[in-house]
Amino acid sequence: MSRIRWGRWLLAVPMAALALATMYPLVFTANVAMKTRREYILDRFSLASALRWENIAAAWHSVGMARYLLNSVAVVTCSVALLLLIGSMAGFALSQLRFRGSSTLFLVCLVALFIPFQVIMVPLVRIMAEGGLTDTYPGLVLAYVAQFLPFTVFLMTSYYRGVPTEIVDAARIDGNTPYGVYRRIMLPMGAPALLSVGILDALFCWNDVLISLLLMPSADHRTLMVGVTSLRGQYSDDIPTFAAGVLIAAVPVLVTYLFLQRQIADGMTAGSTKG
Amino acid sequence: MSLRSSSPPARPADAAGADGPPTGHRGARRAAAARSRRPSGGRRTERLAPYVLVAPAVLIIVVLRLWPLLLGVNFSFTGDGERNGTTVGLDNYRDLLEDPLFRGALRNVGLLVLLLPIAVAIPGLLATFIYLRVPGHRFFRGVYFFPAVLSPVIVGAIFNLLLAFDGPLNAVLGGIGIGPVDWLGDPRVAMVTVVAVHIWATFGMALVVFLAGFATLDGALLDAARVDGASLAQTIRHVIIPGLSRTIQFVFVTTMIGMLTSMFGLLYIMTSGGPEGSTYLPEYYIWIQQGQMNRPALASAASTVLFLIMLVVGLLQLSLLRRSGRTE
Repeated sequence: MSRIRWGRWLLAVPMAALALATMYPLVFTANVAMKTRREYILDRFSLASALRWENIAAAWHSVGMARYLLNSVAVVTCSVALLLLIGSMAGFALSQLRFRGSSTLFLVCLVALFIPFQVIMVPLVRIMAEGGLTDTYPGLVLAYVAQFLPFTVFLMTSYYRGVPTEIVDAARIDGNTPYGVYRRIMLPMGAPALLSVGILDALFCWNDVLISLLLMPSADHRTLMVGVTSLRGQYSDDIPTFAAGVLIAAVPVLVTYLFLQRQIADGMTAGSTKG
Repeated sequence: MSLRSSSPPARPADAAGADGPPTGHRGARRAAAARSRRPSGGRRTERLAPYVLVAPAVLIIVVLRLWPLLLGVNFSFTGDGERNGTTVGLDNYRDLLEDPLFRGALRNVGLLVLLLPIAVAIPGLLATFIYLRVPGHRFFRGVYFFPAVLSPVIVGAIFNLLLAFDGPLNAVLGGIGIGPVDWLGDPRVAMVTVVAVHIWATFGMALVVFLAGFATLDGALLDAARVDGASLAQTIRHVIIPGLSRTIQFVFVTTMIGMLTSMFGLLYIMTSGGPEGSTYLPEYYIWIQQGQMNRPALASAASTVLFLIMLVVGLLQLSLLRRSGRTE
């Protein structure tokens, strides 16, 4: 596939350098996490003298990363499940059913897509407080669902638009109610979209720090990313433990990315080009 | 309900529906199905079904996204503390403009605008190289995109280590006789440092968008350029940039929105607004006023200003899209 001949190998050199610059910070952090404090102070760059897991264990137990991880997993799982359920229901209705006001309702979702969280966060905190939802897991889940629902509805609607109407019509003639069509036809057919939207929603919720910081003030309710920010103050003189905590938080995303790279990249572009 | 009459245009609600009239064939088939198969008690359920399916989504979006927007604008005209709830007109906005921290935040938005071309050019150039099938392009694409999936908090924490005054970067620079630079402690440098880290973390997003744009580019034009002996720079200038004008505009807008709304994590963990308040952005200012200073009304005014800035960016995008639509 040589489309153009200009010294392509020459271009590969700066690109490889940049690839190195992209990966190096993470490699550096992983290396530091394996070092003893003394090793780190003496020489930052040398390879750790052994694969040491003490720092990881310390971060896991004493700092409470285990608890934070558990909080994150629980909140993200619930949020994504709800997002996919509510989002696919709405996506199905907005794309396949004809009813009065459907395009207005779609517009409502579209407008919400352009409202950043920073703009509504003050009133949202007050609404949550009035509902008694501050510092509770359901409250955080609800906030995440509200935050990423416009995106989810939007992508599910455009996916379901591609499903031929004949399929829905045939199912209806067979005597299915719209609910039956949703459950038996649309939900299974939507699996590929549900998977890629679900991965993105999970990533967004997992990576959030602002919403969690605002709505979950107490220490044992922290999500993992807020946990990382709290490391900074506590371990500013113990860099290897700090690095170990950061590593614990980075690894789940790293593993997900290794397996689902294509879906994540494509989904993110689809989301941003259509949004 | 209108179906009870069961006279030919069976579902007037449908025909008048906002989606436009259904095609005769489909509408007739559906109406027939509704008439013949459904027990009469089910018709009501049938008509309500779309609303039931949409209700949870619409309810959540209206109550937790649109309503707060109005509430927030309304809030921004009321007072804080002992003046809580009373209307104060434009006092909050006056306070904002007199607050050096908010003025600094606006200045930093100006800095973002200045750095925007760099944030767009880097992924654009890299996407060009990848499109030209530089050896290993698939690998590069995968590696470059990776930081975009990491949380800003993790990115910030890692760069806190790398950019510390006695950290590795200064050690390397010291080795070649430069520095040391106080990347995060010098008010003149800190904001540029944080923006640079943000660009490092997000250029993969723009890169992938550019690559999607390249997929629509006409390969014959590139071949023609090669036959005519055009240099790489000439090809970029005369073939690639005109061919990708829409994508480029789009990346400009999304990158700007990204810089305005997704740098909180970095600011929070890397500088916390310091040194000397030099790394405030509107979103960080809002958070400080709401979460730390207990001045929600002032924070709401700042939110409204941020929303107006975003609106300008959005309208700019719209007019650009319209203009490029006309020339095509």
